[in-house]
Amino acid sequence: MPVETLAATGAATMEITLSKFELLKELTATQGVVERKTTIPILSNYLFEAAGDTLSLTATDLDLSLRTSCAAKVKKEGSCTIPARKLYDYVKLLPDGDISIKLLENHWIQIRCGRSNTKMVGMARANFPTLPVFPTAGVISIPAKVLRAMIGRTIFAIANEESRYTLNGALMVLKPESITMVATDGHRLAHVERPGEKFEGISGELKTLVPKKAMNELRILLDATDAEHIEFAKDESTLFFRIGQRLLTSRQLTGQFPNYEAVLPKDNNKSITVRRSEFSSAIQRVAQFADERSGAIKMRLEKNELKISSSSTETGESEDSLETTYDGDLVTMGFNSAYLLDFLKAAGADQVRLEFKDSQSAGQLRPEESEDYKYRYIVMPMRI
Amino acid sequence: MAEPSTPLRTIFHVDMDAFFVSVEELYDPSLKGKPVVVGGQRDERGVVSAASYAARKFGVHSAMPLRTAAKLCPQAIFVNGHMDRYRDYSQKAHAVLRNFSPLVEMASIDEAYLDLTGTERLHGPPLKAAHALHAAMKDQTQLNCSVGIGTSRLVAKVASAQAKPNGVLWVVPGMEASLLAPLKVGAIPGVGKVMEKNLHALGIECVGDLAKLDERFLEERFGKWGLALAGKSRGEDAGGWFDTSVGEETDPKSISHEHTYNEDTANSEQLEATLMKLSEMVCRRLREHHLYARTVQLKLRDEKFNTITRAHTLAAPTQIDAEIYEAIRTLFRKNWKPGTKVRLLGVQTSSFEEGEGQMNLLDNTKHDKWKQALSTADKLRDKFGEGAVGMASGLKSGFREKTQENPAERKK
Repeated sequence: MPVETLAATGAATMEITLSKFELLKELTATQGVVERKTTIPILSNYLFEAAGDTLSLTATDLDLSLRTSCAAKVKKEGSCTIPARKLYDYVKLLPDGDISIKLLENHWIQIRCGRSNTKMVGMARANFPTLPVFPTAGVISIPAKVLRAMIGRTIFAIANEESRYTLNGALMVLKPESITMVATDGHRLAHVERPGEKFEGISGELKTLVPKKAMNELRILLDATDAEHIEFAKDESTLFFRIGQRLLTSRQLTGQFPNYEAVLPKDNNKSITVRRSEFSSAIQRVAQFADERSGAIKMRLEKNELKISSSSTETGESEDSLETTYDGDLVTMGFNSAYLLDFLKAAGADQVRLEFKDSQSAGQLRPEESEDYKYRYIVMPMRI
Repeated sequence: MAEPSTPLRTIFHVDMDAFFVSVEELYDPSLKGKPVVVGGQRDERGVVSAASYAARKFGVHSAMPLRTAAKLCPQAIFVNGHMDRYRDYSQKAHAVLRNFSPLVEMASIDEAYLDLTGTERLHGPPLKAAHALHAAMKDQTQLNCSVGIGTSRLVAKVASAQAKPNGVLWVVPGMEASLLAPLKVGAIPGVGKVMEKNLHALGIECVGDLAKLDERFLEERFGKWGLALAGKSRGEDAGGWFDTSVGEETDPKSISHEHTYNEDTANSEQLEATLMKLSEMVCRRLREHHLYARTVQLKLRDEKFNTITRAHTLAAPTQIDAEIYEAIRTLFRKNWKPGTKVRLLGVQTSSFEEGEGQMNLLDNTKHDKWKQALSTADKLRDKFGEGAVGMASGLKSGFREKTQENPAERKK
């Protein structure tokens, strides 16, 4: 019977065969988007749609959705929903080879592979939410490598406070010849700019607030792709990122990202340069003896020496010192060690420079070598 | 047991008699001698904060639902509590005690421990000092109190309970065990309902039964707590906060306020207003203790008595109303299903730090303005009472502050 007739009579069918390896790859890629809480049961299901020689899989938690596909022999076109976690756990345990998936009555789904035979309880396809459609115009191509690097340099500075709504994402600014990403949680701010790129279809600047959850998924997808470029587009409510055959959509954060330019320090008149690995190791050692909750460490600058220290009534005290060129006033500043380590981990340069003024003003860290990215990290001190 | 070289301590436990009721009587002398219930009106939700001795004769006690109290004692006069008045008188009482010893510890709003060890030359023997204290209290606050004297806090506390009302009892050193022996185990501070049940299951009814047991048996049975129990049965301070010396600063581990509605409500505006008000009250106390909280917790009880608590850890500790409220409101919106009627809301803060530490990059000015405004508000409250100023959005909650008089009174 032709497919169209079936659809018209309302009898649902779907029958496909595909390789376990291909399916598992896509199931793994989409797990992060499946709703974990079961408040809306359909969201813990995948939407499977078979047509032509392709199976499309969609997962959504309403904030994010991820649509991907893999090659399949389609015997009967159609669609169904399958519990995502259960399917993933089950497919992982199947032997390598072909899997056949068939929709039965009452939304049950039969999964056969070799001598294994399972019937899973699905849900009506009609209950699966309608997802936004990739726009046809205004699509911008961004180098995958660049986007990945920028996310890695900013994502950790995004606020975890859900009450600080507009800080729950990073600001992405696209200009005809540059891309910038900024993230802050109100205590520190990461700012990275990549000049010398060409972005077609942008006049002036295009500002987009990318939610933290989308940044996370995007990073995972970018890590797993060989695609050189990704496609980015947005409409009034949704952001779209197409990475190879995978499409990530995210609800937009509304609201105004803070005016970060106003807090970029302008009168830091002292600076030191240190080896990143030495600086990072010293902080990690000293932080073992910092107050557990605040992670506070002291940085004391003396002539040609940086002393890093900590003390806690429970664990003891610790000091490390680094040689550095410094001839300014004695300055002691307190910092949250975790904030400094976040930057040092992301910076990826041999040498880093710390620019500062006093114990009350924001310090700025940047990689010493001018790499292809202009990267700066502003961090407020702690009262000590 | 006390080391032989340590001199015996002289600890006073001063407990105000029917504190809330007595304060109310000062404002309305017609209440004197009558059955009075403080905490709300007879048909209201909520619990009894305090009851006069006349009302207690009918079985009314604090923490009992107001409606139950009304059934037990229909002729009782029900009055709303006035926390500001009680705080005021508590401070007056504290001032009296400070004249007797610098080592004063307010255990709650209406009771305190004093360490008078070594003050004989100043105040005379314990009994004389106690009578002087008793008279000074009456003179300066017009309130009655009861004083228990012992070699430990535990004995002093038990003694003051026996001295009530308006009396003084000195447990002469060496007589501790015989004072305690006939008492029910539940009379030992720190023995709650569960422990009491466990002990009863072992056939232990009185403190004397407990004292007869081998320490090691109690330790095996109840761990460290068992050892503490053994000590307590001999009248020693052991276990829990009884370990600390009187007057030694012990900061609270958590600070919280709760509110029970007279009528369950699903009005989100009113619910959020209540959370605002509770956040304000909690932050006021954080500032009093000079503490900054890193963890906030919401307590929500619906009309079917389902209770949930949800906590959130802040990126930086705070004592600012608006910041605590924002976090609480986020928790509330995530965990309250619109339309569900709410019976009780609570705001708790914990994980205290002594400073806020981390400075802000973005809204320093906003943060600092809040700090200034709150410090001014606190001064107004100190002067004119807790209701003097408040956040506009908290006013819609329209509820009175409630509190329990020392709940241990139930056992007496």
